[in-house]
Amino acid sequence: MTSPTLASLKTYPAIPIIAALAVAFSLFSPYFLTSGNIEAMLGANAVVLIAAIGMTFVFLTGGIDLSISTVISASAVISGLVMAQTDNVPLGIGTAIAVGTIFGAVNGVLIGYFKLTPFITTMATQLIARGIAFVLSQGIAVKGTPYWVLDFGFMSWFGIPAVTLVGLGLVILSAAALGMTTWGRQVMLVGSNPNAARYTGINVRFIEFSVYLLAGVLAGIAGFISIANLGNAIPGVGDTLLLMIIGAVVLGGTAMTGGEGSVERTVLGVLLLAILTNGLNLVGIPFYDQLIIQGILIFVGAWLAMKFSGQRNA
Amino acid sequence: MLDTSKTAPPVLSVRNLSKAFAGKTVVDDVSFDIHPGETIGLVGENGAGKSTTKNMLCGLLQPSKGEILVGGEVVPQIDGPEHGISAVHQELSLFGSLTVAENMCITDLPGRPARVNWAEADRIAKAQLEFLGIEIDTKATIESLGAGRQQVVEIAKALLHADRVLILDEPTTSLTAIEREKLFAIIDTLKARGVAIIFISHFMEEIYRVCDKFIVLRDGKQVGGGHLADVPQRQLEEMMVGRTLEDSRIDLDPPGDAEALSVKGLTAIDFENVDFTVHKGEILGISGLMGAGRTEIAEAIFGLRPASGCVQVHGETVSPVTVQAMKDRRVCYVPEDRRTNGLFLNRPVRENLSAASILNFVRRSLRGVGFRGEKARAQEEVKARNISVPSIENRVSDLSGGNQQKVLLGRWLSTLPDILIFDEPTKGVDIGAKFDIHETIAGLARAGKAVIIVSSDLPELLHTTHRILVMRKGHMVGEFRREDYDSVKIISLAASAGNGSNRNA
Repeated sequence: MTSPTLASLKTYPAIPIIAALAVAFSLFSPYFLTSGNIEAMLGANAVVLIAAIGMTFVFLTGGIDLSISTVISASAVISGLVMAQTDNVPLGIGTAIAVGTIFGAVNGVLIGYFKLTPFITTMATQLIARGIAFVLSQGIAVKGTPYWVLDFGFMSWFGIPAVTLVGLGLVILSAAALGMTTWGRQVMLVGSNPNAARYTGINVRFIEFSVYLLAGVLAGIAGFISIANLGNAIPGVGDTLLLMIIGAVVLGGTAMTGGEGSVERTVLGVLLLAILTNGLNLVGIPFYDQLIIQGILIFVGAWLAMKFSGQRNA
Repeated sequence: MLDTSKTAPPVLSVRNLSKAFAGKTVVDDVSFDIHPGETIGLVGENGAGKSTTKNMLCGLLQPSKGEILVGGEVVPQIDGPEHGISAVHQELSLFGSLTVAENMCITDLPGRPARVNWAEADRIAKAQLEFLGIEIDTKATIESLGAGRQQVVEIAKALLHADRVLILDEPTTSLTAIEREKLFAIIDTLKARGVAIIFISHFMEEIYRVCDKFIVLRDGKQVGGGHLADVPQRQLEEMMVGRTLEDSRIDLDPPGDAEALSVKGLTAIDFENVDFTVHKGEILGISGLMGAGRTEIAEAIFGLRPASGCVQVHGETVSPVTVQAMKDRRVCYVPEDRRTNGLFLNRPVRENLSAASILNFVRRSLRGVGFRGEKARAQEEVKARNISVPSIENRVSDLSGGNQQKVLLGRWLSTLPDILIFDEPTKGVDIGAKFDIHETIAGLARAGKAVIIVSSDLPELLHTTHRILVMRKGHMVGEFRREDYDSVKIISLAASAGNGSNRNA
């Protein structure tokens, strides 16, 4: 009954939309399929890609992390300040990851061990992280980014920006962790049915803790990448990213209810939103008109994901 | 009363009723009459077509073929209130935070929409309850009542709008023995008042207690019907299953002497000072009413809920008692509610089978990494447990109830346990699968495993165990050996209100 094509649509509901958009934009704009445009598009979405990996793991357990976006800002600002003082890039990277780790650990402990609701908990950490980013930077871009970091932001190999390669490296590592380890399997099972996981002897608290920790670490890395992309640590860098991150994960086909999805799907979801934004800019559609189109597309994507994964009657 | 019921015309008649979904016939050619004051038992295994028949009778489904006559006249589709037919479904339709009176009148509130006459609603509810001879405070909220009283409110509500035919679908599944008796008394009252009742149940004892006539459905077909007085229970069961049942009492080998699991002074909120021991090769049953604390004890032993006291495995004290510690000692627990606490419904059969013992399924060179061998091992398990599924990659939610239970059983047998605790192992599976599961359990005991079965189904315990412990309100109140089994004594011990110190060894 199920043909291979239908089976892959079931797994990757974003593919038909990506194909349709790519064809449409290449017809409307001759610039769309040039290497320069593709490189710019990939580079601009590296931060969202890295952050969306973390959100994917959180979604797989049936949770949500609203703080990812502003933890990106906080780790960027603190890392930027440290690098401005010391001009030490490894220390800056370490600082960004450490800040992300701390926020992730706080979320993880409160949600996994103290059983607070993910929505409320991460909403609170979102506010705190945003506050920290603005207080420490006094609301303006942090100056004094080391030259190496600026260079890194412009580096690319064979038309793929270095920042995107970092993202793809993290994609490969996290996809392997999800698909090939006991830990990854347990993430899926906890998301599918937390009660059954407990009755089966899975350490549900630790699994929940670990996905928020991972999301924090990845947000920290994304924060550092944002400095390389933009040239400065910007305190408001994450503010507009949250909906992009959630949208990408959902459009990719990972369910918010848990136990259904993958890192690969999220990569396609990020690609979909990247092409959409880029293409609409090229065609010359104003920003606020783009929002309407994005919203409609999320409807379509959610509908396709539901249709292909056969969850309608579940 | 009974005499008039025989001469009066049937209140509801069904002729050649059939229903097909997408070309598949699920109810085929069902015909019967029901007179005022009569009770018909609708019996059959899971999937026999009882629910579909019920849904056609209360107007939720349109029949594909056949006709329904109300008071001698053909009606195209049943309209409950208009034709006086109401149904109480398995899932109650009450609002927990509203009062009894509000719930009873919710579909037809007196007064105007913006200004409901609550005093009148209360009066209507009171009058109805009084009429049925039920004492329930109409101002109490539904959630403050027990399952039995909720059921009664649901019935009173149903009869308020339609009082000629009442359909009861498995009304006793969540009731205690005492509540069940009260419900039967109410049914008797309704019969005397001339209400025709269609009673759907799995439990043969209840069918015989409540009904005058019966209809047996098997695979959607009406395979029998008539007066219950003419048909012994055995014959009725064989009609349901469609084959002759050999003696269901299973042959057991005598248990060994070595202690496998023992519990001393186990105490928690739901139970107190529980002591018992189960030996290698022994099957121990734990009996009791709903809320007696049986499941809670099983869960405490498996480390799923906190308790004080001592749990010993092979004479060695386990401390602290956690799921992991019990699994390490080759103990397993197969929970009662497989959909809530057992299965990962949107994950494949393969992952469900390996979930509790992934290391028994894979060959790894790196700790925690890789699933080589899992598929082959899962395939073997599917074959061994006789699970009917197209592929091990199918989601468990695609499987039937019996196959789901086999997957859960397979998961825990894959942990190679020495001590097995089963909580309601045959709940919601049909009679055929039930015997298979009993045979599997007996086989485990013969192989020297220690088994504990927690069950509300007393005949199941009588057939499959060496020894039965009886619980009441969190206390162990009795113990029976197989040679002394007496269902009446066990039930009365479990249900009696007296203090529980009559230990019967």
